[in-house]
Amino acid sequence: MSTLVVLLWLANIVLDTFGQLSFKAAATGPDLGEGLARWRAMARRPWIWLGVAAYVAEFLVWLAFLSLVPLSQGVLLGSINIVAVMVAGRMLFAEHFTPLRTLGILLVACGVAVVGIGA
Amino acid sequence: MRRFYFIGFLVLVCFDTFAQVCFKLTANHAMPPEASLAWVLRVMSSPWVYCAIGCYIGAFVTWMVLLEHAPIGPAFAASHLEVVSVLALSVVLFDEHIGAPQLIGSALILAGIVCLAISETEGEPPAAAP
Repeated sequence: MSTLVVLLWLANIVLDTFGQLSFKAAATGPDLGEGLARWRAMARRPWIWLGVAAYVAEFLVWLAFLSLVPLSQGVLLGSINIVAVMVAGRMLFAEHFTPLRTLGILLVACGVAVVGIGA
Repeated sequence: MRRFYFIGFLVLVCFDTFAQVCFKLTANHAMPPEASLAWVLRVMSSPWVYCAIGCYIGAFVTWMVLLEHAPIGPAFAASHLEVVSVLALSVVLFDEHIGAPQLIGSALILAGIVCLAISETEGEPPAAAP
């Protein structure tokens, strides 16, 4: 893999993880209210917009990445994002790693990787 | 909470899946692919591209509702059920052929989601103090 491919891959992991954690930060909290009021409160938080911005940037990085590697390899390498989001959720939102939960997440990540191998 | 997750993820996967199907229908409508204004106009003249955008918005709204309660790590993993449903629909709708790795991978994803569902019914452990 060339340096550019590795850089794009790392950028994809960082942007995906940052975006998902931003969405989580936007969606939780005791002071959000219900229904439409909740959406207004979320729209006032920077997190939801940072999440959307990360998503748009990730889309462009992913397109650039896929123009350099085959889709199968892209999907295979992208499966690591699932593990990255899991670890970040634990660090920033104190999410528990119960054995069954960890097994479930790792099985999904392996499944996505295997789908990529044969694509 | 179990019902909330079940319905929420079902709706999310439907939106995600139909978005991908609509993108494929858009791409077929806009054949042949070329870097030209004519191709962009063909894409924009397809009703499917607007269905795809609608599905994206629906998926976003569903995701933000789910994340009010769902922990991000397991929820993000579970959202990859989309991979399985898109593979299945690509066979049914577009006559695509999938191989053994896709079948094995799909089985692993489903097994992982079953684990996540069981771990959720066992009860959420109290969140540790941040």
